[in-house]
Amino acid sequence: MFELLVSSIPLAIVASIPLLLAVEGELVVQRSGMINLGIEGMMLTAAMTAVLVAQTTHSLALGFAGGVAGALAIAALFGVLAITLRADQIVTGTAINLLALGGTSFIYREVQSLVQQVPQLRTDAVLPLAWLAIPLVLGAILWNSSFGLRLRACGENPEAVAATGRSVANYRWITLAIEALLVGIAGAYLALALSNGFAENMTAGRGFIALSIVIFGRWSIKGALLGTAIFGLTAAMQYALQAANRGIPFHLLLALPYVVTLLILCGVAGRVRAPENLGVRRR
Amino acid sequence: MIQLAHVTRTYGATRAVDDVSLRIERGEIVALVGENGAGKTTLMRVAAGEIAADAGTVAAGGRVELVHQHFMLVNQLTIAENLALPHPGFRFTTRRGIEREAEQTIAASGIELRDVARRVAELSVGERSKLELIKAIARKPATLILDEPTSVLTPTETEELFRVMRRLADAGTAVVFISHKLPEVLAIAQRIVVMRNGRVVAESRAAEANVVSLANTMTQSPFPPSGGKGVERRRGGEILAIVGVAGNGQAELAAKLRDEQPNAAHIPEDRTRDGIIAELTIAENLALRNERWNPRDAARHAERTIALYSIRASGPLQRAGDLSGGNQQKVILARELERRPKTIVAAEPTRGLDIEATRFVHEQLRAEAANGASILLITSDLDEAFALADAIQVIYRGRLSERLSPAEASEKIGRLMAGVA
Amino acid sequence: MSRVLSAVLAAVAALLLLAITAALFGHSPLALLSILVRSSVGSRFALEGTLLKSVPLLLTGLSVVIAFRAGVWNIGGEGQFIVGALAALVASRFGAIASLLAAMLAGAAWASIASAMRLWRNAPEVLTTILLNFTAIHLLGWSVNGPLREHAAQYPQTDLAAATLPPLASGVHSGVLLALAASVAVWWMLYRTMEGLRLRATGFNPFAARWAGIRVGSQLARAMAISGAVAGLAGGIELLGVTHRLFERFAAGYGYSGIAVALLAQLHPLATIASAFFFGALVTGAGELQRTADISAGVATFGQAVVILMLIVMDHVRTAR
Repeated sequence: MFELLVSSIPLAIVASIPLLLAVEGELVVQRSGMINLGIEGMMLTAAMTAVLVAQTTHSLALGFAGGVAGALAIAALFGVLAITLRADQIVTGTAINLLALGGTSFIYREVQSLVQQVPQLRTDAVLPLAWLAIPLVLGAILWNSSFGLRLRACGENPEAVAATGRSVANYRWITLAIEALLVGIAGAYLALALSNGFAENMTAGRGFIALSIVIFGRWSIKGALLGTAIFGLTAAMQYALQAANRGIPFHLLLALPYVVTLLILCGVAGRVRAPENLGVRRR
Repeated sequence: MIQLAHVTRTYGATRAVDDVSLRIERGEIVALVGENGAGKTTLMRVAAGEIAADAGTVAAGGRVELVHQHFMLVNQLTIAENLALPHPGFRFTTRRGIEREAEQTIAASGIELRDVARRVAELSVGERSKLELIKAIARKPATLILDEPTSVLTPTETEELFRVMRRLADAGTAVVFISHKLPEVLAIAQRIVVMRNGRVVAESRAAEANVVSLANTMTQSPFPPSGGKGVERRRGGEILAIVGVAGNGQAELAAKLRDEQPNAAHIPEDRTRDGIIAELTIAENLALRNERWNPRDAARHAERTIALYSIRASGPLQRAGDLSGGNQQKVILARELERRPKTIVAAEPTRGLDIEATRFVHEQLRAEAANGASILLITSDLDEAFALADAIQVIYRGRLSERLSPAEASEKIGRLMAGVA
Repeated sequence: MSRVLSAVLAAVAALLLLAITAALFGHSPLALLSILVRSSVGSRFALEGTLLKSVPLLLTGLSVVIAFRAGVWNIGGEGQFIVGALAALVASRFGAIASLLAAMLAGAAWASIASAMRLWRNAPEVLTTILLNFTAIHLLGWSVNGPLREHAAQYPQTDLAAATLPPLASGVHSGVLLALAASVAVWWMLYRTMEGLRLRATGFNPFAARWAGIRVGSQLARAMAISGAVAGLAGGIELLGVTHRLFERFAAGYGYSGIAVALLAQLHPLATIASAFFFGALVTGAGELQRTADISAGVATFGQAVVILMLIVMDHVRTAR
């Protein structure tokens, strides 16, 4: 069992990059007081746009840019509804997920003619980016800068921030942009590096798992890294267990990540202190 | 200094401020007094530039800072972080760095507030009030407006505040102090301005005024006499008042009693959040404690209740959220009292109500006590407490004092509310 | 603008947007709309197909209506649908009624896992119900490939259920009547019983509900359970009336579609009937689009999303001051 665990580590680190990026992005957004349930749809859209751009331009870099563009489009939609129109964030997020699910299936089927070999990613600059650079930068910004202080205040008591003459909406738009950047890379990485192109519903709930990890990690960077590490390890063990042919049915192994996430949510013992203003609609 | 000329501000159909002209000089301490809804806060918000006047002008010689009644603090951040929040521009910070800055700011203000690493959530209400004041003073205003600053302070803290106000005034700041507590106003202000229904109805030098004359000017009808219970209590009904400065555990006490005694009647402190379900009709709100639900019976019952309690409503099917505060309170009272409860817990039952509604509530409570109910009245209004109570306990930081008779209480109340034995 | 008008405008806007999107990719919008209409309501056969699709949508829609009215985010209709169908299959040997009861119990139980996690661990049900959906999908996958696999062992599906729902007219099963009855029952529960009043009160303002003596925690748990039961019933009826056996893609999004159905109906149980019919027509039409015009059936999901987004916009316009 222990060898299975250890041998799963390299895979875990790489395979959970999209998840980690999503956790980091959602963390920033939730710290400003919003819940973006549509992160699932955002990643799915990013995966599709990344593949489409990569296929048409034969350039990986442009593919990643395409992923970010797709994510930004979704972020813009969410922002207009949740920030400008002050709509309920849960309903908006759910609608966006459905939109992305149906939309990507529809669009991808339309452009089937473009299905070609997707250029494979060889250098892995994304790994240290996700596991080292971004956590450090986000941590510094959130906890050691005046911008981050005000951002965190938006998530606790937006009226106090408004009283200093600043726009809470602007802070939230910025966090959505940051999230779109990270999730765009995540979706692109998922499709271009971890898989062989786009497939319907390929994100398979990673967005929701990311949301769960943000909570488990108590909205902190360290918690995000720890939570993703734990999850990633158990998810990677899924493959190791399969390969080791221990007699656990294939489909139950597929359910393992979700059951583990449920347990993770259970393990948040005691009162979890979310940012006080999280998800509250501004009147 | 600040000069307001013919300022008017309307909200919908009401003139919250009606053609008010006022001038406050450098170094003056002026008190702005009046009943709830007289227009004091609205006028000062216009003065501070927070809201615009619909007519008239505001001329301010220098910065105007308004310290709100309701805190604009971020509870989960520390004192230091709250003080750093308004800092302009982008910069990288360290925890120790902003703590040092905070300590400097606090020292410069002359107000005492220790240990800036504490989260606001951990502070007492008085300390939070101090923090708000420090924030305002740090911006070096020419005019400082304080909206009901003493409503959450103990007598000792109030004295401290007055010392700070005198110091600021001596240094040249114009200080405006909004309050409805007349004795305090007379203690600190040099000039008193009385507002009623959006207009300035009187102005006098503090030396020339007295409580009774001020009170009469503030209200249309004579000030309700304090003390005196009237009807003799039969069958063991009594009113026990729990008094204390707001924020000392009253809300927690009320919630605890609500959970422990489900059969008692509970009047919550926060009427709009905890009392009325705005989206439901009056009939539905009244029926929430029922066993059965029948729309027609409920509507008929609601009609009877509306008549009995003189509730200003268009009918039993009106949305409860459309009623005024006083009428909403009547609905809550009706719902709770019609169960003929033996115990009633009423938290701040007359907060924000006008004279007529307040009198109604007091009548109901007295009537219930006369019928044998035992009533726990949680209030921060000392006048109300002394007017109604048979016995008094003081709450401070979540702990209750011993039971006192009204006479004993009036002697010890100041010390008990400050936590001094 | 009244709520009915909002709903109608949202539905029309969705169809228009669908047509425009199709046009962007070179399809004729008129042809698309005509296929949609013809294949969903254009003939008796089409209507029957639409009705068959509307039944599960009506029930999953009712499930969401109950939950959202109580203030709980039950996004787990998909999983409750599947688990209900599984239970119905296993219990089908005891007859249709027992089978459907089992479906309701299973749906309630599955939903209650999320309630329990919320009550005891403060885990947000919006996430736990979604995670349970994925779990249920894989549970189904395991069942039809493993313990419940058909004897012939040819395809990943189960044997036929031992009970069926008697047909009404040719092509339409009596589940339609059950669904309509459920709609009336939910309406009656919400507006004519004390339980319903308490549920609605809790949904509007759980704080005030608590002060009025309502035990909010157990109220929410009951609402979730009832919501889950209705979604489970949907799965059972779909099994006994339409598919008669289980296979991997059994749920096909009915649970998530319930959200769009409920929102278009403005959370009113009786309006859900019309809303379910609309989305049933859309799904049926989208199926035909995929068969004949090679347009992904995902347009139905896309259409649902657009409806919800339009409703959000209408809501904003309606309440803007």
